[in-house]
Amino acid sequence: MTEFWELYKNGQWEVPFLTFSIYLFLAGSLILYLIIVASRNGKIKKERLSKEYSVVIDKVLSAVIFENISFAEVKKDKNFLVLFDTPFFREVLMESLINLHKNYEGIYAQKLEQFYKDSGLIKSSFRKLKSLKWEVKCKGITELAEFNIKEAFDQIIAYSKARKKTLKIVALNAAIKLEGTESIKYLVDHLDPIDDWMQLNIIGAFKKHDVGDREGIEHLLESQNTTVIALGLKLIKELKLTQKLPYVVQLADNTSNTVIKYKAQSLLQTLTA
Amino acid sequence: MTFFNTEITWFLDVYILLILGYAILIMSSYLMLAYISTKELRKYLKRNSFVDYDVLLTSEFAPKLSLIAPAYNEGLTIEENVKSLLSLNYNNYQVIVVNDGSKDNSMEILTKTYDLVLTDLDFHPQIETKKIRGIYTSRNAAFKKLIVVDKENGGKADALNVGLNIAQNPYVVCIDVDCILDKDSLLKLAKPFLESYGKRIIATGGVVRIANQCVIKNGRLVEVNVPDVMLSRIQVLEYLRAFLLGRMAWGKLDGLLLISGAFGAFDKEIAILSGGYSTKTVGEDMELIVRMRRYMLDNKLPYSVSYIPDPLCWTEAPEDFKIFKKQRSRWMRGTIETLSIHRRMFLNPKYKLLGMLSVPYWTLFEFLAPGIEFIGLIITAVFIIFGLLNWHFFFLLLFFVYSFAVLFSVIALYSEEKTYHKYPKQADFFKLLMAAFVEPFYFHPLTVYAALVGYKEKIMGTKGWGEMTRKGFTKKE
Repeated sequence: MTEFWELYKNGQWEVPFLTFSIYLFLAGSLILYLIIVASRNGKIKKERLSKEYSVVIDKVLSAVIFENISFAEVKKDKNFLVLFDTPFFREVLMESLINLHKNYEGIYAQKLEQFYKDSGLIKSSFRKLKSLKWEVKCKGITELAEFNIKEAFDQIIAYSKARKKTLKIVALNAAIKLEGTESIKYLVDHLDPIDDWMQLNIIGAFKKHDVGDREGIEHLLESQNTTVIALGLKLIKELKLTQKLPYVVQLADNTSNTVIKYKAQSLLQTLTA
Repeated sequence: MTFFNTEITWFLDVYILLILGYAILIMSSYLMLAYISTKELRKYLKRNSFVDYDVLLTSEFAPKLSLIAPAYNEGLTIEENVKSLLSLNYNNYQVIVVNDGSKDNSMEILTKTYDLVLTDLDFHPQIETKKIRGIYTSRNAAFKKLIVVDKENGGKADALNVGLNIAQNPYVVCIDVDCILDKDSLLKLAKPFLESYGKRIIATGGVVRIANQCVIKNGRLVEVNVPDVMLSRIQVLEYLRAFLLGRMAWGKLDGLLLISGAFGAFDKEIAILSGGYSTKTVGEDMELIVRMRRYMLDNKLPYSVSYIPDPLCWTEAPEDFKIFKKQRSRWMRGTIETLSIHRRMFLNPKYKLLGMLSVPYWTLFEFLAPGIEFIGLIITAVFIIFGLLNWHFFFLLLFFVYSFAVLFSVIALYSEEKTYHKYPKQADFFKLLMAAFVEPFYFHPLTVYAALVGYKEKIMGTKGWGEMTRKGFTKKE
């Protein structure tokens, strides 16, 4: 540093500066090139492994679904056990399990849920909830909700109040899947505005998971937060909850907010037409 | 004589300092933007991996969009392109194709393919445009989303204004009809309009990529390839640098001055209140964004412009120099015109980041850079003639700039590799890497030359786009 300062003082800094910069740029390019090559090789390797693992996993899971094989029996295969210790194998297994679970219902889905619990994958999902990284938490929440682990509800609903919006949406989505209307009751006292994207996600979760119990949605109309009221009105409209019309009438009559009044009246028109 | 020598030495020193200072300023700003972009890109991808776009697809509360596709002499590809626009993954949208007085058989093809009939559409034009000859809709219920407007030729901006007048939805998506859109592009473009509370999102822009030599089937991109032709290949790299390393950062800083005319969504009300597209400039896409922003700032309305880094739109890049020169000189004219129209914003604190950073940046590094390079070249030539050039220093400086250009291209490749990984073939990666080494010697001088032509055209008062012939997408055999 002192040397550079001396050069600068003497007015002869340009050449050393340029030389140093050129070396720096070349070294930077070379390092990035090596990282790119390593990353590409890593991807190729992962792809190959994923294909190999998928063959094993498909065999195991089809045996679990169609041949009533339990995890205890699967464990007897030493090759499987060795692979099961590998994090990447567990990752691929979890992915396959989730994809299969999405495609099956009833007894087949229950068998997959049992496998999820017996294999200990459920523990890793719970562990993910404790991670400091929000994206890992999101993963854990998604997994637990997919396999209908109702015991996770309390932990999940806590994250629906998180500051990170994506985590909030993922948690709410999961909570709605697990406990329906119960998950959004706290929104009545919610102070911050809920933007349209989040509202759309909540409505989407109700539609997607075909939540049967819709008791309590009307409470959203009692909120002091206009965005929560708007959400309630949208939910009533999209889910065509005509039984909630008296609450909408009450809202239209009593609210002093003109936008909400207009929305409520327009909803009444739509649902009574 | 001694005095004269001292003067020359002083001039040389100042000249070197200025050149170096400018180079360092431009390089550090590029690196800074690249850093912000890369960081933001990773965050975006992380967030996006948990986004369920299906909620937009199935909801009646999804923003209602009107796609405006101006077409001029697109007969060769219009049938397939409109078909692909009609089959995008989105429910609440209509497609408005504006035939801008094409001289070819575009209108006949559209009428025949989509079974069009004249219709009496009730609309109240708010922007003045050229005369509309007729508005058509389809008799076939399968094409109920389609509206075709046949109008007198008035240029792209005029055609877009017709679309703005006719659009029935609160958001308009302006696209080039010959672009290939990703099937989910509208879902991604619409989402930001829902996300902001208390701040109005006035526009969202997506990333445009080069589709030359990619495989297109039924209006969809099915295989990504890197072009063999060097000019278009380097443009792949150039677009990566611009969209992945530049605009993403400007988006984060909320200082984006340009949303590509090839693909962008706008809040119709604000676009119309700002006056719509200007027909007085060839850089109508940039000018509209600047004007909309200026409108919001002048009226003290909280707003934001959003940027989606996903590769949503694929376009054809010029493969021969003549067309490339036309395109780039037009871009330069557009930049000059926009900066000149909005010169009051330059270093004006009233316009916040836009006035204090975005506009000065564009002035210094986009508008003036080619001119500065040209002047530098002339001065260097004079030094050579008079034997004043320090060859050692000259080559060192040249290599300094060259090595930075290579580094910056490699950063773009790194960013692409770590994010979208759209070029998985090894051969394609090496083609792009080779392009990074060739670019400063081959492509950069061409862009500078084209920009200088743009300066000249602006001085000479050239108006309009000129004929832009496209080859159409070709499949790699």
